[in-house]
Amino acid sequence: MTVTDQTSAPISFRPREFEVLADGTGRLLGSRCRGCGAPFFPVRAACSGCLGTDLETIRFSTTGTLYTFSVVRQSTPAFPVPYVLGYVDLPEGIRIMSQISGCEPDDVKIGMDLELAVEEFGTSPEGAPLLGYRFRPMAGRGDR
Amino acid sequence: MTTVHLIGVGMTRFGKHPDRDAADLGAEALLEAIADSGIDPRAIEGAYCGHVFQGMVTGQRILAQVGMAGLPLSNVENACSSGATAIREASLAIRAGEHDVVAAIGTEHLTTRFTGALTPDPSDPEAAVGATMPAVYAMRARRYMEEFGMTREQLALVAVKNRRHAAANPLAHFRKEITVEEVLESRPIADPLNVFDCSPVTDGAAAAILVSDRMLKRLGNGRAVRLAASSLFTGSVDTEPTSMTFEPLTRKTAEAAYERAGIGPEDVGFAEVHDCFTIAEVLRVEGLGLFGQGEYPAAVERGEADIGGRLPINPSGGLLGKGHPLGGTGVAQVVELVRQLRGEAGERQIEGARVGLAHCRGGKAVGIEGAACTVQVLVR
Repeated sequence: MTVTDQTSAPISFRPREFEVLADGTGRLLGSRCRGCGAPFFPVRAACSGCLGTDLETIRFSTTGTLYTFSVVRQSTPAFPVPYVLGYVDLPEGIRIMSQISGCEPDDVKIGMDLELAVEEFGTSPEGAPLLGYRFRPMAGRGDR
Repeated sequence: MTTVHLIGVGMTRFGKHPDRDAADLGAEALLEAIADSGIDPRAIEGAYCGHVFQGMVTGQRILAQVGMAGLPLSNVENACSSGATAIREASLAIRAGEHDVVAAIGTEHLTTRFTGALTPDPSDPEAAVGATMPAVYAMRARRYMEEFGMTREQLALVAVKNRRHAAANPLAHFRKEITVEEVLESRPIADPLNVFDCSPVTDGAAAAILVSDRMLKRLGNGRAVRLAASSLFTGSVDTEPTSMTFEPLTRKTAEAAYERAGIGPEDVGFAEVHDCFTIAEVLRVEGLGLFGQGEYPAAVERGEADIGGRLPINPSGGLLGKGHPLGGTGVAQVVELVRQLRGEAGERQIEGARVGLAHCRGGKAVGIEGAACTVQVLVR
């Protein structure tokens, strides 16, 4: 059986949490409670604040600040080491775990401004490149 | 409602057991606990078995191995709190009046199940971006150093202390003391944590026999230790980013246990806490209210957490020194508490120990502070 012709639409590595738009940019997806306004990552079925189930799916901001980080030197085969892993605080009041790319590990600092970048994250079972997210120093503020 | 008493405990040597499996280790621990209790094994009415990666019906394999199949048994998975959860479930079955004698077992043959760094379940969004448990704790360590000025050497002293305690424990994975320099020069895992800041990949099992008041009275067991509280909570879903240098989940679980036991943190004489990493011990004891926030690193430096210190922490050697067979850990902590409270801890005996606390915290799921947290209070 032949593989049907794929559209050129980019494929997200985790479509429920990360959307790749037609212009090649990406957005993290989550929920906001229509009752009390609480934000969540990832998408939730109910709000932990008010237990309401009227939640809307939202796209989070693509900038944030680094809460903390580590240079990972031992991991699973899927993640070649070393890489920098961090927690990034987004303006919506959400903390996201992400790899940090685009700078040397020695230049990563708590509190630095970061922006989301769409980067390759492995391949699909059919061999197509998958797109995921990493955060990088904000253009013009890092050493890029 | 009845209170619950521990009348017998047992555990295997912790370490690497290439020629054995989780059921075989669990059977050894269970037989020792039964012998220690002096009870006729036919009196045991039910069992709970905590394990994480051992597959289906490991608890049943253990019972079959010791000729006790035919009992109601539930296998319990709650990540690194699995064994502690088995203890709690056993105590609930007694408190509910369903059983008078229940066995709790925790086991893990970890060396055959994975190598390297433990990760969250692959379905988790954080696992998908490269989360490892050492990295998560390393990030918390970096933040703690930034907020409270803890030095790298102070952090290393937690491992040095627990390895020293383990050297006095014949059942510990590691029996050799280490120095601060050796911690700092050990293999980097996730900055700032090195391999000696991390609990090892360990095989081992532990077991305990729990009974009701009326069964204790019938048995007249003079060595019994009272399980004054056994609390369990799951982390709340964060609606805003919270501090990673404090553990509200540990605090909440501890407060429930203190209330049930009718004590406060000031009454605790010693504790076994979930030191899966050096930084974890710091976060745990402060979350439990045993030390003030930001104060533990200096307290360790002063020797306050040593056996013989003001408040000994992890006299068994903890996860860092005794080892961490995931499902076995929570039960092994209770084994240590019982032996200390009975005055049977040998070289590492804490003088005058009356109230001991055990704390476990396991698992990682996106968006919640922690997955499963347990606190047990034992009183002699």
